[in-house]
Amino acid sequence: MRYEYTVETEDLAKYYQMGEVVVKALDGINLRIRRGEYLSIMGPSGSGKTTLFNMIGGLDRPTRGRVYIDEVDISKLDAYELAWLRCRKIGYIFQTFNLIPVLTALENVTLPMIFAGVPREERLRRAIELLTKVGLGDRLHHKPAELSGGQQQRVAIARALANDPVIVLADEPTGNLDLHTGLEIITMLRNLNKEKGVTVFTATHDLKMIDVSDRIVWIRDGKIDRIEKRVDVVVSMEEM
Amino acid sequence: MSGAVGEARREVRFPISEAFRFSVESIRKRFTRALITAISIVLGVAFYVGLRTMSDIMIFIYGGSEAARSYQFWMAIISLIVCAVGILNSMLMAVTERTREIGTMKCLGAMDSHILMIFLIESSLIGIIGGVMGAVIGWVTGLLIYVGEHAAILFNPALLGSYALRIGEGVLIAMVLTVGATIYPAYYAASMDPADALRFEL
Ligand SMILES: Nc1ncnc2c1ncn2[C@@H]1O[C@H](COP(=O)(O)OP(=O)(O)OP(=O)(O)O)[C@@H](O)[C@H]1O
Ligand SMILES: [Mg+2]
Repeated sequence: MRYEYTVETEDLAKYYQMGEVVVKALDGINLRIRRGEYLSIMGPSGSGKTTLFNMIGGLDRPTRGRVYIDEVDISKLDAYELAWLRCRKIGYIFQTFNLIPVLTALENVTLPMIFAGVPREERLRRAIELLTKVGLGDRLHHKPAELSGGQQQRVAIARALANDPVIVLADEPTGNLDLHTGLEIITMLRNLNKEKGVTVFTATHDLKMIDVSDRIVWIRDGKIDRIEKRVDVVVSMEEM
Repeated sequence: MSGAVGEARREVRFPISEAFRFSVESIRKRFTRALITAISIVLGVAFYVGLRTMSDIMIFIYGGSEAARSYQFWMAIISLIVCAVGILNSMLMAVTERTREIGTMKCLGAMDSHILMIFLIESSLIGIIGGVMGAVIGWVTGLLIYVGEHAAILFNPALLGSYALRIGEGVLIAMVLTVGATIYPAYYAASMDPADALRFEL
């Protein structure tokens, strides 16, 4: 079955109680992400991008509101279904990479396939294929500490793609990288989106992302400030 | 490829054989850490079994006066506490420093039960290896201390039974404490929302 909206949020809010004050990290986000869309969330530091990433990815619980993935309210999923969602449907890319330090690049990429029940030989074959595709065919047996930041992020991308997810969530995937490496990562995400129709959602304050995004959602203090289609952005640039 | 989330029963799989392989691999990868943990178990259990063996021999030779009994009793309690604190401390540390890793595994599709399984196998292996080594070392040390004066009676059949009992106790204590001190923080980390586990700082 196909759904028009892969991700939908409804009045999504997350409040943190910090002593006396309530921090409204997210405050009533209504967002619909089309299947196959490349959507970027932009906003200043502390505006709630990571919080939104966590909510959409089913990694944290909202204070209020709902998240639907393919029209299913994820708060209604049981432990099996939630694990399945994280394992098969969504690929996560983190700003801090979050690779497992004691495992090699190859083993890190294999890990999600273990939980997906992929046989051992197939796991290795696919992990090698993915790592080769992200340009790390000669770094299979390196541990994260033996790789550069950009290389670690590429391992994380290969890991995110291991189980052929339909959605890739990326939280500042270029945040820790230099300009050139950042562009490479963006191109990689864009190709994935174009060629395989994967829905890509990135939280970022990297303006390079604007060129590849179908839509840009600007958030500020946990609220949607404005949403721009790429055509609008291009037009306004041409006007200048 | 993947369809709707709720259409049919979707499950992630993680058979015991896979968990076992993963756990052994994990111990191998962190060999130094595992060794430090194991050494604290070996020392704790050796201390306990050694002291108990010695007191068994003493009681066998001199008989047990009330005063001697209570002295032996307190020695046993103290050795048990020293052993327990050593094991608990090192296991709690070893698991807590892996909280972020647990969060990452949950993002990749691991269920709480998978995580517990991995840590259960890992801690059982470390517990049993550390426990057996500690018990044997403690027992041999206990014997060596008396071998000069009382070599003749050390292997008296009446003592053999209590040796076996002490070694068994030592291994059991190691297993229970190691597994317990691992499962509790592992369960705690696994039941956190992944976002919180990933943010966790020691
Ligand atoms: N666990 C938490 N406890 C308390 N407050 C939190 C927590 N996580 C986030 N916040 C607060 O929520 C707000 C939004 O944080 P968030 O991490 O989502 O911002 P961000 O847009 O990702 O910022 P950055 O660009 O710096 O990564 C911030 O004000 C932050 O202080
Ligand atoms: Mg952030």
